[in-house]
Parts: sequence; structure tokens; C-alpha cells
Amino acid sequence: MSAFRRIGAERRAAGRVGTPLSVPVVPIAQAFLLCAAIGCVGCTASDLPPFRLNTEGRDPEALTGTQTEAIEDALQTLFGTPEEPAAPPEAGLRLDPLMRAAGPIRGDAEGNQRGLYRQHCAICHGISGDGAGSLAAVMYPYPRDFRNGVYKYTSTAGGAMPVRDDLDRIVRRGMPGTSMPSFATLPEEQIEALVEYLRYLGLRGETELFLFQLVVDEDEYVVDLDEVLDDGLQPAVDLWAEAGRAVVAAVEPASETPQQRRASAARGYELFSSKNAQCVACHGPEGKGDGEQAGTLADDWNRRKKGATPEQTKELARRFRLPLQPLWPRNFTQGIFHGGSQPIDLYWRIHVGIQGTPMPAGGPAPGASGVLTPEEIWHVVHYIRSRAGIDDK
Amino acid sequence: MRDLNRRQFVCRSSAVAAGVATGLGTPTMAQAAANRWGDLVGRIVYDGTPPPRKRLVVDKDVACCGKFDIRDESLMVGPDGGLANVFVYVRSRRVDICPELEQSVEKRVTLDNRDCIFMPHCMTIWCEKQEYYIVNSDPVAQNVAYAPRGDIAANIVIPVGGDATWRFRLAQRTPVAIVCNYHPWESGYILPFGSPYAAITGKDGTFRIPKLPVGKLEFQAWHERTEYLDTPEWPKGRFEVTIKPEGTTLPTVKLAPAIFEKDAVF
Repeated sequence: MSAFRRIGAERRAAGRVGTPLSVPVVPIAQAFLLCAAIGCVGCTASDLPPFRLNTEGRDPEALTGTQTEAIEDALQTLFGTPEEPAAPPEAGLRLDPLMRAAGPIRGDAEGNQRGLYRQHCAICHGISGDGAGSLAAVMYPYPRDFRNGVYKYTSTAGGAMPVRDDLDRIVRRGMPGTSMPSFATLPEEQIEALVEYLRYLGLRGETELFLFQLVVDEDEYVVDLDEVLDDGLQPAVDLWAEAGRAVVAAVEPASETPQQRRASAARGYELFSSKNAQCVACHGPEGKGDGEQAGTLADDWNRRKKGATPEQTKELARRFRLPLQPLWPRNFTQGIFHGGSQPIDLYWRIHVGIQGTPMPAGGPAPGASGVLTPEEIWHVVHYIRSRAGIDDK
Repeated sequence: MRDLNRRQFVCRSSAVAAGVATGLGTPTMAQAAANRWGDLVGRIVYDGTPPPRKRLVVDKDVACCGKFDIRDESLMVGPDGGLANVFVYVRSRRVDICPELEQSVEKRVTLDNRDCIFMPHCMTIWCEKQEYYIVNSDPVAQNVAYAPRGDIAANIVIPVGGDATWRFRLAQRTPVAIVCNYHPWESGYILPFGSPYAAITGKDGTFRIPKLPVGKLEFQAWHERTEYLDTPEWPKGRFEVTIKPEGTTLPTVKLAPAIFEKDAVF
């Protein structure tokens, strides 16, 4: 018998937990074709894989059946399944776009495409948003694992979450130099639906992390959903809600002449080379990504895999879905920037850093003066673009 | 009483306690209030000969950092066996907070980047009351990065002579690792907590948590090598103590060296 306190039905009746979203019935023939298209010939919509528990960094065999059931039950009550997602009102998720992105690939009676996440994203990012889809292992960098609520490319200072526009930008533009393609040709409402689904996976993932802490680390098998909502979900929701106030608005200063632009780039090189900015430590003295830190770096998704001896590698494989992937500082001379090469893109990278990576925030933030002023950051942007050969003015 | 979670130990000052804090009330009430709080002291000992502290590889900013004898700080044992840097904190839910502590708490907790290490190596912070003040006393820029669950992550550059003031908004159940992305050998831990009832053992292995509410409380012990300080007497590092108004002293806790030999990777 489950030790989970099954209070989801009561909560739904009270209106606190969202009703699972309805999924249109898919004709059998259509379902067969769609399943074949995604590589599970013969399955039906109800056979679609479930969310996989986030045991990243843990020994999955140490999990007891009771723990697994408690976590899965709580998550399913609050967030439904990949086929029938739900969302607690506290999450602030918009259900219509979420419904369009979720579930099996299909068209509805109105001719709308549904199952967009599975159609466009899951093969890399995984059904669970764990960044471990079937193609992930051969990619560099690995696809993003959304479940930690960490997104690399933001326009927000002080370690704040991204705003919707940040995710929208990545979906539309893709990430140059990675396997993430541009989805700019998708209709507006489909991009909107995908962005909402990414937020859903992030909020669900952060709630899951809290549940692991509660159930596995703290041995609380009787899960109180109110506690999960208040202490697991709500902090993440609050961070999302506050992100808008942290956006770094910036307008590139006008450089009237090529001489002024070159002078700015030269000043940028001085700043780039300064000991205070520490850019050279990773990017090297000439911006070729060959600083003294190169070869030793890893992002937050890989950091815990570092330092394993050959004997420990087998254990690593049990605890992590993907092997260690080192992180290489950007080589400016290649002219490829994952977060975009427009001046404002590079400005944000320097100003707010790259979340989940060693790239720190160089610009000012509330409580921190930073090492570069906005004006100085623009100089560095001009230097980087000149090194990349993409300074088009 | 508000229905509070474990991480939000808030003051539920009774009329008696509030009376004392404000200088009001009768002597009887003051006496009653004084009897409401008591200290917990204890000592944690490494029961064996500690391994020599390894000298860490200092291969970045060598001109500055290379002149320091920087050694592993993950197992700090004093000459008489006292084990430093053990976090000991209240695990019980809904714990009253002594009003005096709210008034006397320091405004901020300071982390210094000095001699190319974090000083201090371990610290606690009362989220609601204290700021996290980070300074850099070194002649090179430093970086301070950490990512607490459900809270804002920090990845800050602290220029030479510079500072930063950060806040933790969410109390955590276990300490959070601090790293410097410029100098990989640097490490530290901070416990953002929901009350003042968290302490760290000093060089002699002793700790003191002042002015706890009297009565039975559960505590958590945590160390960076073991995480939960799991022993036969303290399963998962948890133990219960009855706090008395005159103060409570734990018997010295002796820890077998074997529990600290955990694989560094995991």
C-alpha cells in the first residue's frame, strides 16, 4: 500500500491542483502512423513513455519502491503525465499552450498541430526534459536538461531566471555551433506553446528535486502536497515571476566612424586583458579559448562527474545518464557564439554571465558593482566581434 | 500558531518573551521567560590520527596564489582531535526563536577571499536577518559561485579591493557548496538557514547554539566529507536532545576515521 497521502483528488475538488488537460482521441490508424514516426511501432498513445525520475547523481538502485512511489505519485498528482499534463494554479502556467505542446504527435479536430514537444524537442531533450534524448549522447554540447530550472542564456542580472523572451529567442534562432536548430519557421502559437512547455518541465523538475530531498534525504514518505507546493514549487515560481525586473536593458552606443569603432575595440582588448576582468584565464590572451583554465572546465550538469578515476567511471555511468563532457571556453576567432553573435547577445553574455557555467557576470547587479561598467562591456563586445571578423560597421 | 514548515523557524514570541524583550512585564514574567531558553554545547572529535592535509595544486594566478601553502580543508582536525567545520543545526519544525537573538544578530556574514582561499571555509547565515557580504583581500580578481536549490544562483566576480552584498531568500536543509571558477582549489560551504539555531564546530571541535527553546529538539549534523554525519548513534546525522534552561552539554562525540573516507567524487 502506498505511503503517499492521496489528497490530490481533494485538492483538485478544492481547485488548488489543476485538472489534467484533456487529450483528443486519436484514431487508431493515425496513432499507428505517428507512433511509427517516432520510433515505437505498434504502440498506442497510452503506451507513450512516462516521465523518468531524476536520479541524476544518485544511486538509482538505492531508491526503495516506497520512495519511488511517493515521488511519482506526488508529481503525477501535481503535474500529470507527458500524455496528460496538469498544472497547479500556483505554477502560473497557461494551460492552452501547454496542451498544444504536450502529448503524442497529432492533429486535433480544428486542424491544430499538437504534441509539439515530442515532434520537435524530445529526440534531443528527452520526454522528461532531462537533456538525455536518444540523440543526446553524440551531441556537443549536450542538450539542456531543463529539470534544474537553469537556462544558460538570459538577459537578466543577478543570477535571475530568464524571461519568456530569452527562451523564445533561443527557440526561434537556435544555438549556432550546437545541435539546437532554429524553429523560426514554426507558427507563432507553436513557439509560444513550446516555450510554455519548457517552463512546465522546469517547474516540474524543480518540484521533483524538492521531492527527492524530502522523501529520500529527509525520509518523509508521507508527502504533504501543500508542503511540496509551498516549499518546492513556489520558490521556483517566485523566481520566474521576478525575472522581468532583472532584465538588463541596453542600447549599443553609436559609433560614428570606423576609427571610433576600432578605438572601442582596442579599449575592449585592454579591458579583456585586465587582471580584474579575468577573461584571459579561460579565453586566452588572444581570445582563442586557450586560457589556463581551458580543459579543466565543466558546467553545472557535468561538474559532479569531474575527477573520477578509471575505477569510478562505471559508478558514474550508473549515476549519470551521460558521461562527463568538458566545457570549452569560446574561441572568438571562430565567429560562432552559442548565445548569438549580435552585439546585444554578447553584451548580455558579459554582463550577466552564462548561467550554470563558470562564465561569471561581469556587469553590475544589485549588490555587486561588477568588474566592468556598461560602457566598458560595449568596448569588450566590439573587441570580441572584431576578433570574430563579424564587426560589420 | 502559523503552520510553518521546517525551514521557516519563525519567532512565535509569547507575551512573556515579548515582555522581557521590551523591558516590560513583572519579575515573575521575566523569570519565566529566562527559563524558556537554554544553550546547547558539544564537542566532536576525530577518533584517530588524521591523514596529513594534502597540498593542493595551485596552477592558476601562480604569481599571486603560488606563494601560499594552500592545503585541503575538507578534514580539519585540531591537535587534540577536535573536528572543525561540522555544521550542527536544529532539524525540528516550528521552533520558537528567542527575541534576544533577533535583536542581537549581526547584520551580515562576511566571506573574504584572502590568500587565495575562502575565509572562513564554513559559515551559516540567517536568511531573513543577515546579508551575505563578500570581499576580496587578494591582489587578483576572485569569483564566488554557488547554486542553492530554489534560490538565485550567484556567479560573481569580485574585483581587487571590491565587494558584493548578496542575499539568500530560501533556507536550505543542507549547506551549499561555494566555488571559485578562477581558482579550482578554493572551496567553501554556507548554510542559509531559517533561524539562528545553526552552528559550526571550531578548531577544537566544540560548538555552541545559544538560547534554544527548552524542551526536546532534533538536530542535524553535517560535514563536507560525509554530508549527513551518519554514525550508529546519529543515523543520518540526526540526534535528539532535551534543552534545559541551565544549558545542555552533549557527551563528547567520537567519530571513527572510516566514515570520512568517502569517495571524493560522490
